[in-house]
Amino acid sequence: MTYTQTIDSFCEMKRLARSLASMFVRGRAMATSRTGAAQRPNGAPQTKVCQFKLVLLGESAVGKSSLVLRFVKGQFHEYQESTIGAAFLTQTVCLDDTTVKFEIWDTAGQERYHSLAPMYYRGAQAAIVVYDITNQDTFGRAKNWVKELQRQASPSIVIALAGNKSDLAAKRMVEFEEAQAYADENGLLFMETSAKTAMNVNDIFLAIANKLPKSEGVGGGPAAGARRLGDAEQQRSSSCCK
Amino acid sequence: MNEEALLARASEERERIFQRYERGRENLVGQIDPWEDPEFEEYHKTDRYGFIHDERLPQKTGSQKVNIEVEREKKWVKMLGNWDTSATKEKLHRRIYKGIPNSLRIKVWCKLMDVNKVKSANPGKFQEMLKLAKLWSTDVRQIDSDVNRQFREHQFYRERYSEKQCSLFNVLCAYSMYNSEVGYCQGMSGLAGVLLMYMDEEDAFWALAVLLSDKKYAMHGLYIEGFPKLTRFLEHHDKILTKFMPKLKHHFDKFGLDAILYSLKWFFVCFVERVPFSLCLRVWDIYLLDGERVVTAMAYNILKLHKKAIMKLNDMDLIVNYIQVKLHKDFGFEDDFVIYQLERSMDELKRAKLDYPGQPPPTELPKRQLGIFVEPDKKQKIGQRAENFSETEKQARATVILRERGISYNDTVLTGTGATVNSIQGNLLKREKAEMELHELRVSQSDTVSEHSGVAAGMRCDDSVSALGSRRSLADTSVTSTADLSVFSSGRSHAPDNSLDTHSNVSDDATGSDGSGICGLSIQRAPSTTHSTPRATPHPPSVSPLSDDIVRIHVTYNPLAASPSHLTPINPSKYKGYNDEHHKPVSLGFYPSNGAMNLPSDNRIRIQVPSEELLTPVVDSGRIITQRFIDHRSEMYDLK
Repeated sequence: MTYTQTIDSFCEMKRLARSLASMFVRGRAMATSRTGAAQRPNGAPQTKVCQFKLVLLGESAVGKSSLVLRFVKGQFHEYQESTIGAAFLTQTVCLDDTTVKFEIWDTAGQERYHSLAPMYYRGAQAAIVVYDITNQDTFGRAKNWVKELQRQASPSIVIALAGNKSDLAAKRMVEFEEAQAYADENGLLFMETSAKTAMNVNDIFLAIANKLPKSEGVGGGPAAGARRLGDAEQQRSSSCCK
Repeated sequence: MNEEALLARASEERERIFQRYERGRENLVGQIDPWEDPEFEEYHKTDRYGFIHDERLPQKTGSQKVNIEVEREKKWVKMLGNWDTSATKEKLHRRIYKGIPNSLRIKVWCKLMDVNKVKSANPGKFQEMLKLAKLWSTDVRQIDSDVNRQFREHQFYRERYSEKQCSLFNVLCAYSMYNSEVGYCQGMSGLAGVLLMYMDEEDAFWALAVLLSDKKYAMHGLYIEGFPKLTRFLEHHDKILTKFMPKLKHHFDKFGLDAILYSLKWFFVCFVERVPFSLCLRVWDIYLLDGERVVTAMAYNILKLHKKAIMKLNDMDLIVNYIQVKLHKDFGFEDDFVIYQLERSMDELKRAKLDYPGQPPPTELPKRQLGIFVEPDKKQKIGQRAENFSETEKQARATVILRERGISYNDTVLTGTGATVNSIQGNLLKREKAEMELHELRVSQSDTVSEHSGVAAGMRCDDSVSALGSRRSLADTSVTSTADLSVFSSGRSHAPDNSLDTHSNVSDDATGSDGSGICGLSIQRAPSTTHSTPRATPHPPSVSPLSDDIVRIHVTYNPLAASPSHLTPINPSKYKGYNDEHHKPVSLGFYPSNGAMNLPSDNRIRIQVPSEELLTPVVDSGRIITQRFIDHRSEMYDLK
C-alpha cells in the first residue's frame, strides 16, 4: 500500500467515523424530541406519539426474554434468567411521522404459568409469538398460542411470529417455508430472528409498529384495555396521535 | 407422528438428558456446546458466596467485620453443641437476626429445618425418587433448560454439567416425582440452587421437601396449579400497602402496576435474585426460623425503605426496574440495617394484626401422599399441553383477571350491573375518553364470555359482587387509622365516567366501617359535573393553577342516614405508630391535622383544593359521593 493510499484510507475512515458520529447524535436528538413530544404536547412536537401494549408468548426457553433484552437494551445474555410470572419493559421506535412506544410484557413460558397469561395479553394491541427453530415442538406450541390469541385477545391484535435462534441454523428443525406458509395462512407477520446476533430483532418490532393502526378509532382504538396512564398528559399520548 | 412414536421420542429425550448429567462434565469433553459453557474467569471477581462478578470487587469486609464474625462463630459452635437446650432457644432469635456465620450456615439451616429427621425417616427415598424420575419424570426437559440458566454466574453452576449442576438437576428431578402435584415449577430451581450452595444433594432434596410441605413454610401452595398461595399473599400484601402506605399504593395504581408484577419472586423464591445475595441469606436465616410471616414483612420492609425513591419514578417500567433490578444489584442500605428494620416491620404488622395472612387452607397443602409414585398420563408423557384449562386454572384465570380489574377496571366491575350500566353508557358516549372505557368494558366482557376462558357471561354479576366484597374487606381492615380511601379512589381515578353511581361503595364502606373516622370523599373532573346530583354546589371550573381553590360543600345532616360517628376525627396518636410520611392520607378524609378537629356544627366543611384539576365534589347525607380524579401531581387535600 502506498503512502497516499494509506492517507486516503485514513481520511476515508475519519469521514466514516464522523458520519457515524453524526448519525448517533441525530439519533439522540430524535430521542430527546421524542420525550419532549411525549411530555409537552404543546411544545410543538414534530411527530405523533402512540403507545401500544405488546405481549411475548411462547414455549419456555425459546428466547422471549432475550429478544426483549436485545430490542430494549441491545444486550444478549447466554443465560438469561428464567422469567417467573412476567417482566415489563418499554422501548420507543421512530417511524417516519410517528413515534411508537411499546409497552412490552414478557411472559413465562412454562405451562403452569399459562393461567396468568390473560392478564398480560388482555388489551394488548400486538403480540410476538416466539418459537425456537431448532425445536419442532416449540413451533407447535406457537401455533396454539396464535389460536388462543385469535380467540381470546382483542380482534384487531397484530400478531407476529418469530422463529428465534436463527444463528443455530445448523440444528434447524423447523423449515423457514413451513413457518412462512403458516404465517401467510393466518395473516401473521413472520421473521426468523436471532437475539444473539440481533438479526431481525429491531426489524420485527418495526414491522409491528408499521402495521399497527395509528389513527384514533381504528381497530378498536389504541390503549383499549392497555394499562391506563395516570398522568393526564401521558393519557393524551396513549390515546395516540396528536 | 403417532402416539407411540411420540412416546418413544419423549422417553428417548428424557434418557438422553439424564445420561449427560450422569456422565458429568469430565466425561463430556468435546460434547458440550460452546454456548453452553462460558470460560471460567478469575477468582478475584468471585465474592465470598461464590458469585462471579464482571469487575474486581471492592474490599468491603473490613478486618473488624471479620473479627466479629470469628467471635460469632465461636459462640455459634458452642450453641450448636447444645442445640436442644433452653439456653439455645433463648439466644437463638437474637443471634439469628444478627446473622448466622456463613461457615456454619449449612449446619444451622439443617437444624432449623430439621433436615436430618426427615431424611432418616425416609431412608433411600431420594435415590428411589431419582430412579423413578429417570424412568417417568415429565419435567426433565423444563428442568434441564432451567438448570442451564440458574445461577450461571456462580462458580458452582458456572460450568455446564458441573457437579453442582448435576446435583441441581437430580434434586429437582427427584422432587418432581416425590411431589406429583407440584412436579416441577419454575422458581424451584432458585430454591434448590441456594440450598445446594450449602448442602449436599440429598440434604438439599429434603430441605426442599420441608420448604414445600412443612406448614411453617408451606411453599407447596405457591407452586401448584393456579398458584393459590400467591394470590392469597398478594391480597394480604395489598392490604398492608393500603393500610400503611396508601400513597405508595396509589402511586402503583396510578401506573396500573399490580403487585403480581414486582413482587412475584419475593414470594416465590424468598427474595432470591431480587435483593443482593448477602441480604437474601440473612432473610433466609430468619425465614427458616420464623416461617412465612417473614416474607410478608420483608415485602413491606423493602417498599418502606425505598418508598421515597419509588415515589419519584413516574413510569411503570422505571418502578419495576428499580424494584427488580436495581435493588438486586445494590440495595442501598447495609444488611444489618435492613434486618433491624425488618424486625421493626414485623412488630408493626403484628400490632396491626397483619403479620400473618393466616393458616394455609387445605387447597394449598399436598393432597396426595408424598413420595408415592403416580404414573403420568400419555399426554404428560408426550409433553403435550392440555387443550383446555382445568377447573383450578379457570379459577386462577378469573382471579387474575379480576385482580387486574381491581386496579384498572374497578369501577367498570363495581358498577357494571343493572340499569346503571345503561345510564352510564349513555354518558360514556358523550366523550372521547368515554368511548375507550366502553370499549374496555366490551373487551372485558368478550373476554369473560369466551368459551375458552371458562368464565361464563352470567358471571359478570358475580364478578361485581366479589369485587365489591373484596374491596369492602379491604376497607374493613384499614378502618382505624388512615382515613384514607385511595384504594377506592385510585381504582376510580381511571374511570371518571361512572359518577352516577350514587350507591358508590365509597360511602357504603365509610359508614359500614367502625366509624372511626373514615369518610369517603371524592372529587370529579369538570365534564362529570354535567350529571352531578342536585345537591352539589356549583363551582366555576378552570382556576389558576397557582391559586388555591376553596370549595364549599353543604352537608346535609341526617342522623339516620349517616351516623355522625363516621365523621368523628381520628385521634392523632393513632398516627404516631410509623414514620412521618404516613401522617398524611392521600385522599380526602376527615383527619385531625387542622380544623377538622372541630366538626362544623352547621355541617359546613371547607375543602381546600390545591389544583386546577379538581372540581366540585358532590355530597349527600354527610358523605361525599362523587369520585375524585387523581391524575395530577398534588395529591394532598386538606379539609378545613
